[in-house]
Amino acid sequence: MWQQLHDELSPLGLTIIAVALDADEAAVREWATQQPFTMPIVIDRNFVVADAYGIVNVPATVWIDEQRRIVRPASTAMGDDRFRAFTDIDSAVHHDLLRRWVRDGVRDLDDEGVRDLQPAPTDEIQRARLHRQVAIALRDRGDIDGSRHHLDAAEALAPWDWTISRGNMPLRGEDPFGSRFFEFAANYVAAGRPGDFPLQTGKNRPSGSENS
Amino acid sequence: MNGQLLVLDGTRSALVAHETIDAKITIDAADLDVAFGWTLKPEGLCRGDICVPVRGQGLSSGDRIDLVAVADALGQPLVVDSERGVAAIGVAARSRAQKMATLDAPDFSLPRVSNAADDDTLVSLVDFDRRKVLLLAWSSW
Repeated sequence: MWQQLHDELSPLGLTIIAVALDADEAAVREWATQQPFTMPIVIDRNFVVADAYGIVNVPATVWIDEQRRIVRPASTAMGDDRFRAFTDIDSAVHHDLLRRWVRDGVRDLDDEGVRDLQPAPTDEIQRARLHRQVAIALRDRGDIDGSRHHLDAAEALAPWDWTISRGNMPLRGEDPFGSRFFEFAANYVAAGRPGDFPLQTGKNRPSGSENS
Repeated sequence: MNGQLLVLDGTRSALVAHETIDAKITIDAADLDVAFGWTLKPEGLCRGDICVPVRGQGLSSGDRIDLVAVADALGQPLVVDSERGVAAIGVAARSRAQKMATLDAPDFSLPRVSNAADDDTLVSLVDFDRRKVLLLAWSSW
């Protein structure tokens, strides 16, 4: 869907950059080459973009205008409705807002709205990303035990950051769709989806306990 | 504890010698620039035209620099595993929040993933000047 939106809106001045928050370049390459993508696809092993824009879950989008200003902060945005039962997000809402912005220059948020809805960085998440970086460097060297030590530290600091807790699963050799994931997802919902992006375009109902 | 320390700073990395002295993880003052991009001068820790005053914070002893003290002085989070020889320095939540509130989109430079295995092109936000950009964060997991 994102590639279709890129095709549709690219002639009108939009580029979609797909940023893989992923340590495994082979897995990204496999995904990125299964279709003839024309949108640029990059890999962010060290979560530079996640840090800079406050991204704690995927898929998430940020809108940036021609003056390189953020006009819509990081928020969950789905390509389609495959996971709607879990996310409760109608993907078409965001896609239509995107079309209006690109075609007509109409924003759904003003600058104050963007500031209010930006995800708030925490010291714990900032440190968690550092532990993850150390873990990846150790894994690259083949030091699996050392790597696990830092993956554990990252998860203890940012238990509800999906890019950390779920993103760590393949780094531990675990199936990201295995039993540990379903346990994590169930606990996350039971805890009221903590740390979720404040901006949830296309939600049918408030989830009740988002921290904003 | 001594040996090589890999220092990670975003997409930057550097290898420097480290030595633990009196329970402090230290590097040679001359390596501070390579490791963190900062230099210790009489006026403080400096990077380009910017200096952070550090008088009396006990950053250095002779030509040895205390890594943890430097990160504290800069107000940056640091994870250092001296046993395994890897450290990572980042941005504090408060300064990240301040930067985000400016609404200026931070630039980045990341490797492109494409069919060509030898494609080592870097993609940056500035490459798309005068265009609207949608950053789509995704993952293979």
